[in-house]
This record gives sequence, structure tokens and C-alpha cells, in this order.
Amino acid sequence: MSATAAHEHAGGRGLFIESLLLASVALVVLNFHPFGSAHLRRHFSQDLIYAWFGDAEWLHPRPLKTAAGGAAPRAVVMLVDDAALALRGAHWPVPVAFHAQLLNELEVLRPRAVMLDFLLLDRAPSADVCALLVAAGQLRTEGIPVYLAVTRQHDLSLLDDSNCADGAGKPLRAGQVLTAVSVRRQVDEGDFVSRRYPFEQPLEAGEQTGGQGAAALTSAAVRIYCDTVAAPGQCAADLTRGHSPDAGFDLAWSPRGDPFNRRWSQADCGPTLPSLRAMVDRAMLPRETGCPPIATLFASALLSPAADSALGIGNDELFDLVEGSIVFVGGNFRASGDLITTPMHTLLPGVYYHAVAFENLLIFDGEPKLREEFRRFPVGVDLYDWLVLWVLAAIFVWRESWVGAEAMHHGGPLAPSESARAFVARLIARTPVALSLTLLVIASLLLAAYPFLQLATLVAAIVTAVLIEIRVASRGELKMRLRNVALYLGALSLSLTVVAFAVWFGYRWMRLPPGDWVGYLSFSTVGFFVAHTAIVDFGRRVGSIRLANRSTGGP
Amino acid sequence: MKILFHLGVLAVVMILVLPAPGAVMAPDDAPAPAMAAAAPATPGCGVANLRIVGPRTKDRPLPLMSGDGEHGFKPACRVSWTVLSPNHEPLSVEACYRDSLLQIANDTACGASRAKLWVSARWVITSAGPATQDAKVVCQQLETGAYAGTRALKPPCVPGNPTPAAPTAAH
Repeated sequence: MSATAAHEHAGGRGLFIESLLLASVALVVLNFHPFGSAHLRRHFSQDLIYAWFGDAEWLHPRPLKTAAGGAAPRAVVMLVDDAALALRGAHWPVPVAFHAQLLNELEVLRPRAVMLDFLLLDRAPSADVCALLVAAGQLRTEGIPVYLAVTRQHDLSLLDDSNCADGAGKPLRAGQVLTAVSVRRQVDEGDFVSRRYPFEQPLEAGEQTGGQGAAALTSAAVRIYCDTVAAPGQCAADLTRGHSPDAGFDLAWSPRGDPFNRRWSQADCGPTLPSLRAMVDRAMLPRETGCPPIATLFASALLSPAADSALGIGNDELFDLVEGSIVFVGGNFRASGDLITTPMHTLLPGVYYHAVAFENLLIFDGEPKLREEFRRFPVGVDLYDWLVLWVLAAIFVWRESWVGAEAMHHGGPLAPSESARAFVARLIARTPVALSLTLLVIASLLLAAYPFLQLATLVAAIVTAVLIEIRVASRGELKMRLRNVALYLGALSLSLTVVAFAVWFGYRWMRLPPGDWVGYLSFSTVGFFVAHTAIVDFGRRVGSIRLANRSTGGP
Repeated sequence: MKILFHLGVLAVVMILVLPAPGAVMAPDDAPAPAMAAAAPATPGCGVANLRIVGPRTKDRPLPLMSGDGEHGFKPACRVSWTVLSPNHEPLSVEACYRDSLLQIANDTACGASRAKLWVSARWVITSAGPATQDAKVVCQQLETGAYAGTRALKPPCVPGNPTPAAPTAAH
């Protein structure tokens, strides 16, 4: 019995079994990566989704709000560059005294917190280090924590100086006024894009924390986020519990540039393209987004009104931007190598990595998206995928059984009819062989050389095929064709509804990154199940044998 | 509904364009545009008799610096404007460092035995500087038909006041 013939009598039990078989095969296909190809496919699918829909509220919520409904602190990036250093007579590497000055200036703006994305590992003059500690201590006194990037907990002790004291004469220790945070990065294998952010950095062998036993060093964004919620300790524990030491959460990147960056960016920071236009314009490849998604202030603008004289007579725009914000201070020095590759930016200063991670924690309320491999129960995600694919497969089998064997013999509801094929064959047969072959070769070369012709040709081919069908097909054929197309579209709509629900449920409630979405859609729209109906045919053969065995009293 | 619309659009494009599911495509390798700050302008430092006329810190203390360009600057202390200018009089500027720091004739605000202190140009309004350039320029059309404006006015004048009505007879 052929697979197509069996469609005619696929009853409830048949639908159940056949869709189950198809879903199982589809799950394997979706996760088949003996050489790691599925990871690359998922990453690319995810990048596409964010490039096309990353501006949508349901995918990348804005404006930012806390769980209580109030306004959440905003992430602001402050970039230190050569121009800023020159304003204070300094040069790369950024001297500790410059950081002290910057903290002193930032204090006027009363940010919620400040993070210095600089590793202060080189020995600096005691007076400069003390000035930094005093400035950080002053901020801490005013309830503004200062976070400092370290490679390990011990790094803070490099800043300790026995002669340093605060205004009251009390000795100042780095650990009292600075919070050490990890700035270790994670990149995806294969393309080295920073799509995920580590929860923590495991301690190196023999490293201890304050004599309280080994503890991992929390990543900058995680620590800063947890310090903004009501129960910081619980927050950090909840985020890091149960994950492997190398685990990280997925970063949702928005293609929308922050409007504040219009004042300095050479790229367009205006509204992003509508999704449909983005999909057509970007032609299946995410393009560079020049404007960073986080509001960015150059340190030179803070240090000199000449660098940016349009921040208001009373510095109103400056206060509006920084007051109550989390300020991530980082370097913008090409020679320093502190650059990251993101799904939307080929190169971006590394400090954006932490700012975007912090914003992700905010917009997803401390529950960022998490890949299957970093979950406590990864099989749960596969089970979810399987259930979704099962429903999609059931819709496919149901549709095929309705279309009927006759249509299937002709190659499915969208394949050309016999009349149309005969018409095209006659047309080609009347053309001289040399001419038709020459035209074919020229058309192939043009399509290969000019990709923009491909989509246009595809559309033209579909329109021509429809016109030929209308012209040559019999009334009965057309009626059956219309019925089948209506069924196809109905099934497609139903599949899309299922995919939409699965995507929403998975993204919102299961924290699944959008890596599998294109996979779902490929099964529901491109007819990928058709390519795998062999398993259904095989299942039917097994069923027939069992039936025969039963009727003959066999095993 | 929006998510359904987006998925519908995605599906249509996939039907038309996707060659096959599972295809791996290379990422775009276009280079990133360089991030560059706007080039600094040059107001302020070259002005004769430059004076600080007030703070712009929302009444918060002014951060003061000590040191010099040769040996580097360091935070010294924070003081309110009234400490520097008890009678709210303009402060004379002794020196200027790269449009960023202004040295004031005060070496005691942060305690004794310190050199003259510096304040960032960002936090003060000067007699000639970006702040005054930002200030609103007022112009209006007089009843005589002529235009009058404050010193920084650059033509053309677009008066904020309505065009004066025809003179009425005096009572």
C-alpha cells in the first residue's frame, strides 16, 4: 500500500499514529547536528527573528517597568575615549586618577549605580588609588554602589593601601567601597558572536572568598540587577541555582537604536523598518545596525561642555539621562581590543555586553531566556518541541487525507495539473532545441549573477502558472484545485495559529529563546513533512503485517 | 493578533524564498561603522576676563579638583556654590585647561595648604561659554516696525511677540 493511497482512509487512530511518527522524525530532524550544524542554524534563526521583530513589544518589551509597575532604572553607557582622556591630560591606558575624577563628576548626576568596566590590575601611585577609593566611598555613602570589573576576587586587594583613609580618618579598603564583578564573556562557537551572558564566573582552584569558603564571582549584569531588587541574595541564588558553571542566558538584541544616540551617531537612530519591509529589504540576512540600543554618553561630553554644548543650560538633558540610571563606564579604544560582535553589530565596545545583559534581566523581570543545554531538565524542552510538532503533523496528515489520493497523484495541491503540464510541454516542444537550451542557459546565468532577479522570477513564475491553469484546466480540475488550495490555506492558517501559540507560550512561560521558531515554521509552511512521509508508509506496512498476523492467529 | 500577523508574514516569505529548512547561511560580514564622538568645539578658554557666574548642578555641591596639567588632576572636595561665592558674585577664572577645567582664585575651599582649585566647565555658567551660547536669544518687532534683539541675535529675527497692531489714539 502506498502512502498516498492510504490517506483516503486515515481515520482517528491512523491520524494519531501517523502524526506521532511524523512528529518524532521531525524532532530528530530539528535537532540533528552530528557536526554541530543545528547550533549554527538555531543561532542564525534567532538572529533573523531579532533583526525582523526585535522592535516588537511582545518580543522585546519596552518601556522598562519593575515588577511593581514603577519605572525601572535605565542602563546608560558612558564611553571613555582618547578625547576624554586628553581633556584631563591623560592617555591610554586609562589612569586610576582619571577614574577617580570621573566618579567625582558623576556624583553630581546621582546615578543609581556605576560600573567601571576596566581592569585595574597595574600598580598605580598610592595617592591615585586612594583618590579612587575616596571617590567610590563618597558615592557609597550616598547610596550609589560602584562595581569594578575584576578577573578574580583577589584583584580588589591590589587596590588596598594601608595609608588610605576617608574624610573621618578611618582606613579605607577596596572591598568596603567597591563591589567586584566578573566581566568574563561568552561567545557562540562557530561564529564567535556574543549571544549569551554568563551568570557567574567559577572560582579558580584554591581561590577563597573572605574565608567563607569557595563562591563563584557573579557576573556584572547579574549582580547589578540583583542589587536593584528587594532581595538581592535570593535573586542571585535563584538566577544561578542549578546551572552548570559555564551556563549563560540568551541576550535579546533589539535593532532599535536609542534615540539619545542621535546626537552623536553617524548611523540612523530613528524608528526601525516595519517587519515586512525588514524581511524583504534584509533578504534573509540580518544587516548591521549602526546605532547602539543603549543610550550612550561620551565621557568627553560630561567633562567638557565644548564637546557637547546642547545638553541644556542647566544640564537638564544630562540629569534626565543619568539621574537614577545604572551607568556602565567602558572604553572605546580600538587598540585595546575590548570589542564584541553581536547579532546586529560587527564591532561594539565591550561595555555594551553588560548593559544589554542588565537590560535583558530588567525587561524579562529576572527571568531571561535560557537555552536547552543550560537547563536543569533539558528533555522538557524537547518534549515541548515534540508536542508542538505532533500537533503540526496531525494538521498535515488531516489535510492530506482531505485532499485525497487523486490530488496527491498529481504532486499535491500546489503542483501543476496534467493539462497545464501538457500545455507547457507542447509549448517547449514547438521551440527549436537550440533556442530553448540557449534561453535556459542565459536565464540560469542571469539568475545566478543577479540575485535580485530571483525573487522577481519566482513571483512571475507563480503568476504565470496560475494564468496557465486558468487558461487550460477543465472546470472540474479548477474546482478541485480551488478546493485543495482552500484546504491548504486553511491548514496553513491553523498551523500558524499553533506555531503562534507555541512561540508565545514557549517565549513567555518557558523562557525559550527563539532559536526553534524558524524550525517550527519550516514544518508548517514549507511542507517539510512531505519529505518525511516515508516513515508513515513504513508504519502502515508494519500495521498491515500485524493485522495479517492477527487474522491468521500469528504473534 | 500581532504575533500571528508577524508569523503569517514570515511564513509567506519562507514559502517564497526559503530554499530548504536547515540551510545554514553565512552571517553578514560588513564592517562596523566606527564609533566616534563629535569633534570638540573651542569656546571658553580663549575669552578674556572669563568669569564664572553661577552653578548648573541643580543646587548640588560642585566637585572641585586639585593638581595641574603636568602632574595630573585629582578630586579635592565638593562644596556648594555659596561656599565659593557667599554673595553670589561672579568668580574670576585664573586659568583654563582644555575647555574642561577652570581654575578659580580659591585655595581654601577644600581646607588649607592646597593650591588653587579647579572646577569642571560642565558644572558652571561662565560669562562666555557654551551655556551662554545655549541661552535663549530674544527678539521682537517694535511698534515702529524695527526689530530689537539681545546681543547674541543672529538674523533673521522671528519675533515671539505678535505683530503690533496699528497705534490707537491716545486718550
